[in-house]
Amino acid sequence: MRSLLIRMVRWLPRGFREQFEFEMIEHIEREYVAARSRGRLAAIGYSLATAADLARNAIAERWRPTWTRPPIATEEDKDMKSLLDNWMRDLRHATRALARSPGFTIIAAGTLGLAIGVNAGMFSVVNRVLLNPLPFPNNDRLMAISASAPGSDFPPEFGVSPEFFIQYKEQSKLIEDLTTFNSFTNTLRVEDRVERVRMSWPTTSVYSTLGVKPILGRLPVAEDEDRVVVISHALWQSWFGSDTAVLGKVYDIGGASRTIVGIMGPEFRFPDDGTVLWISNTIRTDQVRVGRFGDRLVARVKPGVTPEALAAELTTLASRLPDRFGGSPNYRRLMGQHRAVVRPARDQVLGAVQRPLWVLFGAVGIVLLIACANVANLFMVRAEGRQRDLAVRRAIGAARRELVRLQLAETVVVAALAGAFALLLAYAGLPSFVHAAPPNLPRIVDVKLDGVTVLFTIVASLGAALLCGLVPAMRASSPDLTRLREGGRGATRGKRLLRDGLVGAQTALALVLLIGSGLLVKSFWGLRNVDPGYETENRMTFQIAPEGPAFTDGAAYARFHMDFMERIRALPGVESVGIVENVPLNEATPLAPFRTEEMSTNPDAGKRLRYTFAAGDYFSTMGIRVLRGRAFPGRDLKGTFGSVMISRSAAEQLWPGQDPVGRRLQLQGQTAWSTVMGVVEDVKQNNFREEGQPVVYFPLVVEGSPEWLVASPAYVVKSPRAESIAPEIRSLVKEVAPNAPMYRVFTMERLATDSMVQLSFTMLTLGILSALSLILGAVGLYGVLSYVVAERTREIGVRMALGARADQVRRMVVAQGGRVVAGGVAVGIVAAYWTTKLLGNLLFGVAPLDALTFLAMSGSMVLVGLVASYLPARRASNVDPIESLRSE
Amino acid sequence: MSLLDYHVLLALAGGPLYGYAIKETVAQESGGAVTPRAGSLYRVISRLTTAGLVAEAQPTEEPPPHPGHARRYYALTAAGRRELSTEAARLKRSAAMAQKRLGVAPGRP
Repeated sequence: MRSLLIRMVRWLPRGFREQFEFEMIEHIEREYVAARSRGRLAAIGYSLATAADLARNAIAERWRPTWTRPPIATEEDKDMKSLLDNWMRDLRHATRALARSPGFTIIAAGTLGLAIGVNAGMFSVVNRVLLNPLPFPNNDRLMAISASAPGSDFPPEFGVSPEFFIQYKEQSKLIEDLTTFNSFTNTLRVEDRVERVRMSWPTTSVYSTLGVKPILGRLPVAEDEDRVVVISHALWQSWFGSDTAVLGKVYDIGGASRTIVGIMGPEFRFPDDGTVLWISNTIRTDQVRVGRFGDRLVARVKPGVTPEALAAELTTLASRLPDRFGGSPNYRRLMGQHRAVVRPARDQVLGAVQRPLWVLFGAVGIVLLIACANVANLFMVRAEGRQRDLAVRRAIGAARRELVRLQLAETVVVAALAGAFALLLAYAGLPSFVHAAPPNLPRIVDVKLDGVTVLFTIVASLGAALLCGLVPAMRASSPDLTRLREGGRGATRGKRLLRDGLVGAQTALALVLLIGSGLLVKSFWGLRNVDPGYETENRMTFQIAPEGPAFTDGAAYARFHMDFMERIRALPGVESVGIVENVPLNEATPLAPFRTEEMSTNPDAGKRLRYTFAAGDYFSTMGIRVLRGRAFPGRDLKGTFGSVMISRSAAEQLWPGQDPVGRRLQLQGQTAWSTVMGVVEDVKQNNFREEGQPVVYFPLVVEGSPEWLVASPAYVVKSPRAESIAPEIRSLVKEVAPNAPMYRVFTMERLATDSMVQLSFTMLTLGILSALSLILGAVGLYGVLSYVVAERTREIGVRMALGARADQVRRMVVAQGGRVVAGGVAVGIVAAYWTTKLLGNLLFGVAPLDALTFLAMSGSMVLVGLVASYLPARRASNVDPIESLRSE
Repeated sequence: MSLLDYHVLLALAGGPLYGYAIKETVAQESGGAVTPRAGSLYRVISRLTTAGLVAEAQPTEEPPPHPGHARRYYALTAAGRRELSTEAARLKRSAAMAQKRLGVAPGRP
């Protein structure tokens, strides 16, 4: 007990102990002996009371030392004004001190500013895109509703049919208001200008559901049926020069004459950024045809309604649909399997873009941490250089918090400079970042340096100042008074541990980013090397939509397209040309049930396959391999009558293990049968990640179904001049069909690049960030080792004087760096183990724990670390023993 | 000034003392009401020293021999003497006031 008390005396600060330690110990021993003589219990009581007293006073003494002269004007310090004065004085002092060492200031403020700048930029994107994706009031109550039917042959999730809207609107108790809509591209004709634009066809309730009003004109009402449109602010500006006279005008919009009645504000974007006009729509119960799935539905729910509760209610409501509206046995069975899918509209809008943005936001956060660690180390080295100064200040009575404040003042000044630099950087860099970002990010065009971002930058700068200033400041505030002795120097173990820890942490964080971007690079590489089933090089695609009284049926359109293909084929440099209704990477193919002659006539039998239309030399132009049979004849429309081409997996589904050529299949609901002419390779229709799809290719004219017409297919042109041939085709269109807009003009190469933009954008940004962090980490290691070498110059000099060889000295320094890096790499690997799974579905063909990537990146990290250590090591081995000893 | 401050000054007014002796004197003079523990006692000594009320001094008599380090003796400075007399006067006034009040209003709760 007694020895414990004596040990507790050491809790008092050193200065206090120097004065009182021996007396206190003697004092306690005497008291203890006296207490012990009164009995064991008395001794225990004494010990406990004294221990509590020692602990209390040790804390009090450390907090408010009594053994030095009290700081002058302690009373004043309590008063805010003088506190502010003190800060101002310290800030001025810090500014002067920093101005005297511009190199340090520029490096520290530059490092921090760069890191805060990328954070500010990324924050403005996250704030706009992820936190405020919907410019509608109370958008947390907006829910996107779709359908699923587990166990059916429908896709995992699909759009609803109009009868759902009626049922939900009339019977849901949780929904306040809702709208159903679909979106498409169609022709907008204003005088001479003809273009295909994105339009949407929502019920008139869309505006009340979203809670929006037009800035000019009125909203559609039920009596308008589908004869009026509301246009976007962007369309109003670009097509009509912001002229209010456009209200009430009638134009050819989406294939009919419609009147413009309203103009929305610039903030209104629905359902996506590209939609420029909204055609009015009213759904009437008596006109509904059930089972026409594919529409989207957005509801405003009552406050507090969860997606789960709504989904349960809507599933029940939908199960009663067949009793109310009738429908086929198929429909009835489907409604039995139907489960409503409800998710916040916010999630629906953001979809797949959330993950990359959060990953990148996390990455810039890591960069900021690394920069803070770096700058903290710089400050620590700087404080080291003024230990004597601080020790003197402390000895003549500066209070501890005054020293902390003095140190913090410098970091505050540096952080302020960094913040200003960061704002400048964000201001200059944001536009190009936004430009490079995937265009499908909602509201990305609205991203700019706004007030919230400026506020974020200020907070981030102050946070960074605290983060990278507090530790050095705390250390500096308790200077080792032995420094006052002549020649006292040498880092204590604690300081070295902290410095090494900071460098190790930087290494670990940088490695996490490196591994992450390594995995993305590998994914991108894998994706680029996927065989999609077609070629993308030297191919271009476009669409035209011929219109006019001559186009009465499918055959008329088919003749036009066959002729136009002939015209294109005649252009110089064109090798071949073909058309397809839905060109890969640009449009999806629809699903429909098919059956073969071998299947029963039961209407339920059949396979749901995708289908599209193709003509000309489509397959050879796209480089899609013909596996069996032969392709449609390129120029002979009649030669394709009654035939289809099918893809490999369609053949496997319809006739497993048999030769499908010559067999017959039928689209359910049609009467005509089609004979399989050939089998082609599967193609990846929507992106390179998916599996090849089973597809049935119909010819342009389908026998027995005159209502099936292909009005505006996509042309595919194979030419070495794919990049530059578009203007020639455009003038050809002007010549042949002056009214037909030409649109969706892309090279296939461009479509392929766009389909990977999410990955490539994330990969590039993360790559830049990890390069940045690697450089910061290397600079940090280099800086610390250089300092250590400078500090140990004398020791190294002695070693060399005693016969140490230069290579031994080099090895010693490199080993010291190597230990720190190895520790950091070990921690980094563990951290990466937990974080790479966040990359989730961004990865392709590579596991989140890909050993090769982990190994390669760790190896590069170690290599960079060794190089960063070698430079100071070489300097150390060049130490001249005589010089180094003289310098003391 | 805390009660302990006062009693330490009071104890030292009788002549230089070392730590343990201060404690004993304080305990005795306060009638056992103030018995400082080691930590508190030496911090008060430190504070009073820093404030210039107490200073290290030579003992008036040759200290009795004892094992270990030489003991440090403390004595009142001129400022400490002034401070103690001011405080004593204040306490006297305060005590008189208390007695008077208790005297003029006996039995009042």
